Amino acid sequence: MSLLKPFSKLPGLNTANILLVESEEQFQQSLADALVEETAVTVNVRLAKSLPLPMENKESRPRIDLVVFIINLTSELSFQSAEASLKYLDPGYFLGKVCFMVTNARNASVPTERLDAVRKLAASLHCPLLFAEDQTPDGVANATERLLTILKVAAGLVPTATALYLSNLTRCTVPPDIDQPSFD
Amino acid sequence: MDPSDNVGNLNHTMEAVGLNDGPVPNGSTGQKDTSPTDMLRIKQQMSNQCFEMAVQLQTGKSKRSCSTSEAERDLPDYVNELERVKTDHFNSTMTLHRMQMWHAIGEKLKQNDLEADALKAASDRCMALCSRIKQLQRESRDLQGEITETQKKRLEMKRLTHEKMKEMEGLTSKKEDPDTEKYKAALEKGRANLEKYKKMAIMTQNVLRGILLACKVNWLDDPQLRDIVMTLEEFPTSD
Repeated sequence: MSLLKPFSKLPGLNTANILLVESEEQFQQSLADALVEETAVTVNVRLAKSLPLPMENKESRPRIDLVVFIINLTSELSFQSAEASLKYLDPGYFLGKVCFMVTNARNASVPTERLDAVRKLAASLHCPLLFAEDQTPDGVANATERLLTILKVAAGLVPTATALYLSNLTRCTVPPDIDQPSFD
Repeated sequence: MDPSDNVGNLNHTMEAVGLNDGPVPNGSTGQKDTSPTDMLRIKQQMSNQCFEMAVQLQTGKSKRSCSTSEAERDLPDYVNELERVKTDHFNSTMTLHRMQMWHAIGEKLKQNDLEADALKAASDRCMALCSRIKQLQRESRDLQGEITETQKKRLEMKRLTHEKMKEMEGLTSKKEDPDTEKYKAALEKGRANLEKYKKMAIMTQNVLRGILLACKVNWLDDPQLRDIVMTLEEFPTSD
């Protein structure tokens, strides 16, 4: 009943709407500031801690073109919250309108099982998995650029590409030996 | 169930929008001054949305029981096919644009005004440059051919030199050993004899010279004596 549906609203002219879901609510702020700097397209950024989204905004909320789940690998809660939020998304979103973004992958305290679990999740849902570095402005700028590319395709602003096609090209794959122990 | 609900909602929304625009047909002093570009853009976005909705409807419809691994295997073929068609379409569009541009340039040139003169001058310059390029390319190709010929000749020379040197080496290494082994003793003996007789000759010469000087013999008048004294000068006095 409170599913977020992809096609229940009309698209806006030259507009793209992106929803950033993060349970810590810190990276999404800097990412949002960088995303609205884009001039060629009007980018509206909605922030959320988790799904389901509150019912009060339902009418005023525009059509969401891309849902990005930001997972911080250093906390297990982040992963679980993202997994729980997946249930509140209409299946229509998984045809290329969902993306996973992972931060702190290089941190030594991250257990390898968590990254493997995230990869398996992204691969099973056929979604792209992006790795981002959130501490430096360069890292934020890089992540913004890549998100904007996917967002423009998902909003239908690129003439020859559809979100489904792009997701097929960029989706996360799991290497066959992922369950075997790694070198350390 | 869900997709048809969605479409139902969408139709409802579109009807509402249509109804709202109804009472204000002319002179919309309203917000949107829709230029053709905007209309094309919104058309593009709407067609994208309808396509994606159609895809979603289709996924609900055909429930073939095939496993994901089978689908994954077929996927690259479909993606390749799609890629091929897209490339063809893009190439055709580019060709079309080229043709349109050339047509426009041709039309402009027929008009014979200032810009057409500028275009003509530019195209003449292009032609001159192209023929110059062709000529230079021809020259460079000829020069390259000459270089290759010279290099071939040089390589040939090197090879011949190498062969000759090998021959020489073979010959010199062959010649020494048998001769020295056989005739070494004889050579040594001959050399010793030569030395001995040379010393004897020099000694006799010195003695004769001493005698001539001491006895104050007048050797200039006697021709035979003079010849002997001349030969004395030829031999080196000390080895």
